[in-house]
Amino acid sequence: MNRFLSIFLIVAMGVAFFSGIRASEPDMRLSGDAYFDEHDLMDLKVISTMGLTDADVDALSAIDGVKKAEPAYMTDALCDIEDSEKVVHVESLTESLNRIDIQKGRMPEAEDECVVDDLWLLSQDFSVGDTITLKSGTDTELSETLTTDTFTIVGTCSSPLYISFDRGSTNVGKGEIDAFIYVPEESFCQDVYSQVWLSVDGAMEATAFTDEYDALIEDVREKVEAIQDERCEARYDEIMDEANEEIEEAESELESAREEADEQLESAREELESGEAELESGEAELESGEAELIEQSSLLESSKETLYSTRTELDNGWSQYNDGAAQLEEQWAAFYEQEEVFNEQEAALDEMTPLYEEAKAGYEPGLASYETSKSQYDAARAAYDAQTSGLETMRLQLAALEEKIGAGTATAEETALAEQLRAAIGEMETQKAALDTWESQLEAAKSQLDQAAALISGYEEGKAALEEGRTQLEEGRTQLEEAQATLDASKAQLEAGEAALADGWAQIGDGESQIASGWQTIEENRQLIEENRQTLEDGWNEYNEAEQEAQSEIADGELKLQDAKSEIAGIERPDWYVTDRDDYTDYTGYGDNADRMRAIGEVFPVLFFLVAALISLTTMTRMVEEERTQIGTMKALGYSRWSIMAKYVGYAFLATLAGCVFGVLVGQKIFPYIIVTAYKIMYPYVPDVVIPYHVGYSLMASAAALICTLAATLFSSYRELIAEPAELMRPEAPKSGRRVILERIPFLWKRLNFTWKSTIRNLMRYKKRFFMTVFGIGGCMALMVVGYGLKDSILGIAKLQYTKLQLYDAMAIVDEEADDDERALLYEQLDEDENVAGYSKAFMQSVTLDHEGAEWDAYLYVPETLEGLDDFFLFDHRVSGETFELGDDGAILTEKAAKQLDVSVGDTVTAENADGDQITVRIANICENYMEHYLYVSPGLFKELTGEQPTENTVVVRMDPEGSKDLDALGGMLLDHDCVLTVSYTETLMEEVTDMLQALDSVIVVLIMSAGLLAFIVLYNLNNININERQRELATLKVLGFYDREVSAYVYRENILLTFIGVAAGCALGKVLHAFVIQTVEIDMCMFGRNIEPISYVYSIVFTFLFSLLVNLAMHFKLKKIDMVESLKSVE
Amino acid sequence: MEAYVKLEHVTKVYHMGEIEIHAAAGIDFEIGKGEFVVIVGPSGAGKTTVLNVLGGMDTATSGSIWVDGKDIAAYSNKQRIAYRRDDIGFVFQFYNLIPNLTALENVELALQICKDPLDARQVLKEVGLEDRMANFPAQLSGGEQQRVSIARALAKNPKLLLCDEPTGALDYNTGKAILKLLQDMCREKNMTVIVITHNQAIAPMADRIIRIKNGKVSSMELNPSPVSVETIEW
Repeated sequence: MNRFLSIFLIVAMGVAFFSGIRASEPDMRLSGDAYFDEHDLMDLKVISTMGLTDADVDALSAIDGVKKAEPAYMTDALCDIEDSEKVVHVESLTESLNRIDIQKGRMPEAEDECVVDDLWLLSQDFSVGDTITLKSGTDTELSETLTTDTFTIVGTCSSPLYISFDRGSTNVGKGEIDAFIYVPEESFCQDVYSQVWLSVDGAMEATAFTDEYDALIEDVREKVEAIQDERCEARYDEIMDEANEEIEEAESELESAREEADEQLESAREELESGEAELESGEAELESGEAELIEQSSLLESSKETLYSTRTELDNGWSQYNDGAAQLEEQWAAFYEQEEVFNEQEAALDEMTPLYEEAKAGYEPGLASYETSKSQYDAARAAYDAQTSGLETMRLQLAALEEKIGAGTATAEETALAEQLRAAIGEMETQKAALDTWESQLEAAKSQLDQAAALISGYEEGKAALEEGRTQLEEGRTQLEEAQATLDASKAQLEAGEAALADGWAQIGDGESQIASGWQTIEENRQLIEENRQTLEDGWNEYNEAEQEAQSEIADGELKLQDAKSEIAGIERPDWYVTDRDDYTDYTGYGDNADRMRAIGEVFPVLFFLVAALISLTTMTRMVEEERTQIGTMKALGYSRWSIMAKYVGYAFLATLAGCVFGVLVGQKIFPYIIVTAYKIMYPYVPDVVIPYHVGYSLMASAAALICTLAATLFSSYRELIAEPAELMRPEAPKSGRRVILERIPFLWKRLNFTWKSTIRNLMRYKKRFFMTVFGIGGCMALMVVGYGLKDSILGIAKLQYTKLQLYDAMAIVDEEADDDERALLYEQLDEDENVAGYSKAFMQSVTLDHEGAEWDAYLYVPETLEGLDDFFLFDHRVSGETFELGDDGAILTEKAAKQLDVSVGDTVTAENADGDQITVRIANICENYMEHYLYVSPGLFKELTGEQPTENTVVVRMDPEGSKDLDALGGMLLDHDCVLTVSYTETLMEEVTDMLQALDSVIVVLIMSAGLLAFIVLYNLNNININERQRELATLKVLGFYDREVSAYVYRENILLTFIGVAAGCALGKVLHAFVIQTVEIDMCMFGRNIEPISYVYSIVFTFLFSLLVNLAMHFKLKKIDMVESLKSVE
Repeated sequence: MEAYVKLEHVTKVYHMGEIEIHAAAGIDFEIGKGEFVVIVGPSGAGKTTVLNVLGGMDTATSGSIWVDGKDIAAYSNKQRIAYRRDDIGFVFQFYNLIPNLTALENVELALQICKDPLDARQVLKEVGLEDRMANFPAQLSGGEQQRVSIARALAKNPKLLLCDEPTGALDYNTGKAILKLLQDMCREKNMTVIVITHNQAIAPMADRIIRIKNGKVSSMELNPSPVSVETIEW
């Protein structure tokens, strides 16, 4: 079962890989075809130099084989985006053919709406909803083609005409189309169609890129070309009729124009004359106005005089008034003084008034009481005086008594008498004091009364004097007030005079300003008149000019008419250009990619298949050998040779067939899917992967697999079957051990232990296995090396090209027509820019090289000077590394071009440009180059060949590596110059190339992985056989007491050695294969590298060893399981 | 005399699907050191099982096997390998020489892995292959190959020399010569030799004859006077 499985697997792998990779090519075509069919990509396109009419369309659809003819418009226009000028291809939307896919947004509906190239939108800084403005790139106005020049972007789309990155070329702008946009048909205002798309009957069913399809299209194309003459003739007639009609129209137009001009001139003259009359009357009016103004001026002057005399009078009045006022002031002051004195006196009197009142009131009664009191006193006095004698007696009595008392001799009566005496004396003395007091009181009252009387009389006198003063004052005040009133009246008079004067002045001012404005008006009018006079003069001039112009225009018209007439006579017959899909480079590129896939499919799977076939052969051989005894027995029992053989053949057939079926079913789905999907990087809008089964490839692979295994089976079983049964029953004579060459070197041999000796002898003994293993491992290793090598060669070219060979950072295309000053300015700025390390001017032109009939497109590159060219270009030989200098003895051609043209150093090559100019030049050297193809010619040689100095149209610029490396800034600066048409950067180119080749990268990964898998299977299978064959030997080792790892090591030694040898062989084989494959997959534009990086070998080796290791690990377990009892069995 | 090899109730049961096969149904015997032992029995009697178990190539289902005082039956897999490596010499019916090593190298191969080997050339000389040392197995006759095989076993200086039908693939005379060699080696080197055979005729040359039948020892007898192999005819 194990064996069955291993044959099954190995066959499945081989078949899957073979048929899968092979099927990838048709599947790519089919996927493309499905996309084209789905979008009804046109099969043929008709363009006429004079446009196409509805009649043409009808005629085209009437052609047998044409399924549909659909007219469309197109034009190429320019579009300024930021600093660069983009070339845009404008197409009208069509309903049935070349249907586009909307990627974003919606279909345009209005005249000023468009959908743009999805890729372009992605690469530019604008989005859906923005507007773009187009401008014409030719002499014809854009408005003759399109109804509007500004379009709103309502979406993005992809078109089946542009499936990849190429947008084709044009005669507008820089010559390369940057993007396409689709607008509604109504946006075009042309009266004839630009192109007619044709679809061909049956083309849909046929697959694109096949001969069947090509034949079908060619057939219809011939038919279309057959009606070309007839249609062109019709179109010519139409154009002629139209033209003649137009001329007639133009003639009548001219006539009416002439009449109109006369009329207009006449009315202009009339107008001018009436204007002149008006001007004159205006002047007269002006003069009378002036006289009036002068008169008014003199009137004003006299009234001014009057005002001045009034002023003097007023001034006198004012001085009189002021004098009066001063006198009055003085009088008033005197009056006020008197008044004050009076007031003081009055106040003093008023103060005294209460005193006076009091005195007056008290005086009368006071006098009366005094009189009474006086009379009383007098009476009292008299009484007292009467008593005074008795007092003296008493006083003497008392003194005697007191003496007695003093002497003590007085009796009690005496004492009491003394006492009585003493009291009577005291009373007498008291009376006397009271009388004295009373007397002084009376005297005081008398003086008080006298004073009061004086007071009263004084007061009454003062009062009378005061009344007199008051009367005098009142009189003075009245007089003064009268004087004041008189003065005030005179002041009022004076003020009224002032006001009247001011009024007068104001009137004078008004009058003056009126006069001034009057003058101004007159001045203005005078100017107006002056102006009008000028206008009139101009009018006259104009009139004269117009008269002349009209005459010359009419004359022009007549001339033009004449020209047109002669032009019509010279109209050429229109031409049709009938092209098919090959006109679109993306379309052919897709086919080329499929072809490249086929190239890969031719090399890889074959080697792969070969390895697989060898493995199944080994397996079958082993099987037959193992069953030798059984065969012998069968034979001995009388089975016929063929019936025995049938068993093995049947076994092999079944295993192989199962493998084939499985391999075909799986491989033809998986491999094309991965590959076609990988290519979608380049063709992002081709959506469907169509993977049908290809019976052809399936049968081819299966048949090959079956033949290989069956032949192997037949071969090995036949060898056994011809032997006699008895011979077969005996074990096959063991192969004799043989001494190997190494044994002849005892120095080395003696150092080896027995297992090593055995290993080495084993390798030599089982030669078949040895070669099988080496081939298997080597093959897989080679496949991996090729895979990695392809990556190196393809992905490395951009880097090599732009970092080793072409050392500039940017290339600017300069307008050849630009004048020298502009260019000088550009170079000046480049000189000044500190980030620019250097620049080199050159003449570059696209040419077709020819060498003995072989043709190849390349660029002719002529540097302006050879000096310093080393800084920008390196010319070297790829293999030897020898470097060359560009000299006057011959041109340098790039490697691939040289190879394609079969040119070697010393041959001559003819280069022809688009204008047909030719130069023939000797090739001095062939240099390494990967991208594009160049023919480098020195300026001296160019001059020698053409007799002309090369016109520089290209500048390559190298940035200072130490500087900012800001390429955008450089580009902006360059494009600011009008003479710079485009700028390209090597960095961008590098990225583009890398992106583009990424698709191939995925394919390579598939190859590497498949090779790895195959390596694993091969190793496993061979090891398995090896162990089975040597089971007895290994069992014996075990019985002898070898540990498991020693047994494994014994086997591994061989494996490792074989792996080493296989790897070495694989490296060599891989290198050779790589060189072959790289040439088959190369595209025209570039040369792929021939190098394989050391790291790629390392990867391949590591992988191979890894698989070897894995297999050995698996084998270890198998070895462990070997039963020692095997050693006891008899030899089979 | 102390038993050098002793088997006690050794059984071996194989499971073939649901059927149990008792290859050894309780075998007991003892062997003394330096004895030349012949184990005889018909096909399928369990001779090979005994050989396998005793040689450490297989494990017993139950019972114990004492060799020089150690119980082999209790050994782990690794111990058994070491046991085979150091203590056992094996002579196969079909010699089992490594085909691409010379006679000398085949012997040396075995010596390379053991602890206390004899000199390879010496041993080959002793087995009478002095002149054929540099030959590959395919260049040797069957007898010569068996001699190499014996030399390979002896050179390891084992405790036991196990021979599985050593004459089975040889003609009469050669077979006799091989047996003679084994007997001589046994005598000369005091080597314990166990020969397993279905050939009853060679029993008389043994010191001890063990007969096995149906997975059991049917008889074991000591031969007090073993005869030389030359005198035996079959």
